[in-house]
Amino acid sequence: MPNWLDVNPRSGVPIYVQLVEQIKHALEVGILQPGDQLPTMRQLASELTIAPNTIVKAYDELANLGLIESRQGVGTIVVANLDGTLRKQQQEALFQRLQVLVRDASLLGISAEALNERFIDAIAHFYQQGGLQL
Amino acid sequence: MSEEKGISMATAKKESLPAHGQAAAIEIHGLVVKYGSKRAVDGLTFRVPAGTIFGFLGPNGSGKTTTIKTLLGFRPPDGGSAQVLGYDVVSQSLQVRARVGYVSETNSLYDFLTIPQLCAFCRSLSPEWNQQVVDRYIGLFGLPPREKVGRLSKGMKSQLALSLALGGNPDLLILDEPTAGLDPLARHEFLNTLISEVAAEGKTIFFSSHMLSEVEVVADWVAIIRKGKLVLCDELDHLKQTQKVVKLTYAELLPVSEIEMLRSLPEVKSLAQEGRSVRLVAQGNVDTLTQTIQTRPYELRDIETVDLNLEDLFLEYMKERTDDR
Repeated sequence: MPNWLDVNPRSGVPIYVQLVEQIKHALEVGILQPGDQLPTMRQLASELTIAPNTIVKAYDELANLGLIESRQGVGTIVVANLDGTLRKQQQEALFQRLQVLVRDASLLGISAEALNERFIDAIAHFYQQGGLQL
Repeated sequence: MSEEKGISMATAKKESLPAHGQAAAIEIHGLVVKYGSKRAVDGLTFRVPAGTIFGFLGPNGSGKTTTIKTLLGFRPPDGGSAQVLGYDVVSQSLQVRARVGYVSETNSLYDFLTIPQLCAFCRSLSPEWNQQVVDRYIGLFGLPPREKVGRLSKGMKSQLALSLALGGNPDLLILDEPTAGLDPLARHEFLNTLISEVAAEGKTIFFSSHMLSEVEVVADWVAIIRKGKLVLCDELDHLKQTQKVVKLTYAELLPVSEIEMLRSLPEVKSLAQEGRSVRLVAQGNVDTLTQTIQTRPYELRDIETVDLNLEDLFLEYMKERTDDR
């Protein structure tokens, strides 16, 4: 069993949540890389002495997040590092904030043209300053 | 029958199949079992989803063993009904026993027989007996193959009972306090074999216990009974996610009307007040609850949400029941 997994069944946090968090963390810090294989449901259930369904649930959740993939005859593979997925989620969230902003502007009586003008100004101002200076 | 078999085989083959939800390995409806005028089981209703490891919990004398005996057809119900793998426990108890492996609380094996003699005896009772499977488990546990049963240790007897229960290739294992009296190492070995050899095959495991810590580790579903009645039945993860304690500390003493308001919130199961601090046992969407509380016009000094483990949950439920009376 991977020694970075450390599940505490007696905690109030569901075991599958612990598994998901720890595998995500392993991706974050690079212990797990795309292409790496995760232990099989059976191996992990037996090593941790926990119900196989719990592992299935954790793996399902990680698969839904687009982080791992079950492949017939190969096993469960890491497909994405968290960076890519997280960035995508953050971008998604940003565009949603933009929609809220537009709505709020309209509520405050700012016209579409005026908002657009301000937006273009803001972009121009940011890039005239040289963009992100890291 | 073929349907039940199909389900358990499909579960065994496909790793990613979540087994909860669909088929029931055990269904109990309004079950009543009496000893004289005493109702040992008193209107029990719940179902055990196929493919789960189901922990059946309750204090001593709460009716766990009686329920199990009824499921196996050893004791007729005085009311209600139960199906095991789709078979009625009264009219089809032979079919039930052919498809179910059972390890009893006392694992009452015949002490004067040797292991091979006991196997031969079991083989004569089970139509689908597979000696190779039994031999494999006996080897796995490292049991002395020619020994008389009476000379085995308690742990070895449990392991032998499990090996024999698996000999009939059951779809469902029913275990009554299987690890009672085992030392921690023997218990771990026993549970580990259950998980890696039995549950991973997609078989359903229904086991009674009063060891909460053990159930918490291996079970994915739990039911708690008390005085023959169901207290709760749920997926363990779901329980842990939806049942929390919320501790509130207010700047000033709350008026009675506000306490009553808190008590009436749908997520609040119970409430205890001590001066300016209020302790809620919450169920359901706890985030919504804390948001609601924070929008009330009473100044909060502190709000804390506490996760509950199985032991905490068990004690909360038991407390509540005591309050009821």
